[in-house]
Amino acid sequence: MQLREKRKSKHAIPTSAMGDVAFLILIFFLTATVFTKDKGLKMLLPEKAEKEDIVQVKPENIVMIMINPVGAIRIKAAGEEKDLSPHEYGEIKRIVEERLLERDTLLVVSLRASKEAPYKNMVNVLDQIKLCRVTAPDGRELRANKISLIPTSEE
Amino acid sequence: MRKSIIRRATKSTDIPTASTADIAFLLILFFMVTTVFRATTLRLTLKLPEAESTERILIRRNVSYVFVDHERKIYMDDNVISGELIAAKMAPKIWDNPELITILNVDETVNYGTVDLVLDQLKEAKAFKITFATEFGRL
Repeated sequence: MQLREKRKSKHAIPTSAMGDVAFLILIFFLTATVFTKDKGLKMLLPEKAEKEDIVQVKPENIVMIMINPVGAIRIKAAGEEKDLSPHEYGEIKRIVEERLLERDTLLVVSLRASKEAPYKNMVNVLDQIKLCRVTAPDGRELRANKISLIPTSEE
Repeated sequence: MRKSIIRRATKSTDIPTASTADIAFLLILFFMVTTVFRATTLRLTLKLPEAESTERILIRRNVSYVFVDHERKIYMDDNVISGELIAAKMAPKIWDNPELITILNVDETVNYGTVDLVLDQLKEAKAFKITFATEFGRL
């Protein structure tokens, strides 16, 4: 028979400070976090064209948008030519969508910006082209995927 | 005075704090996963153009940056470089990682000719995947 009762030792890890530690780490990461702010307009550039690679595109499949050095816009589609002022940029979307419905995947949008033109105007036009979205009669969603960027100079 | 016969049930008014640590750890994990430590801070003043069709770029590892400020100075890898050297700098990067996306951070006042020069150099280096950095905004 055991005379002395063995003392039970308590095994416990103190957890009361756990929350404090967690909050400390939390505050560290809260202050150190930088959320990525990369956003923009995606483009896929073409390969450098060799002479034999040049593809002829029928004129009726092209929508040509020209930007002059002061940022004014002229749009040429289906034999029609139209000058647009900066607040009429929405018109680009309307014309391209109209042509897209007619020409389907064959449509090529040729963006000819003058080398002197502000980058802002070029992006605004590109934005309008990217916004184009129409539903074909068979239910497919059509977008203006073929965009060619051609710089023009004034000489 | 008469003692009330029915003993009132004593309500506990404690806020349970046992799960505070769990919540905190959850938040920590969230911030740990989303944290990107910034290695360099570029002192550049850029005003990016606004575009409505701005998309977020979710791939973070496969990107390379080119900056053009309002003075038409071109920056790559934290250095000012001349336009003709972009291809030479870009080519080995593309060799290492053909999926690399080049993000062009160009000030909105820069003329298109400068942008075209950069695009031409990128084509030469076979860096075909590009993004024009923009801010979201309606026209």
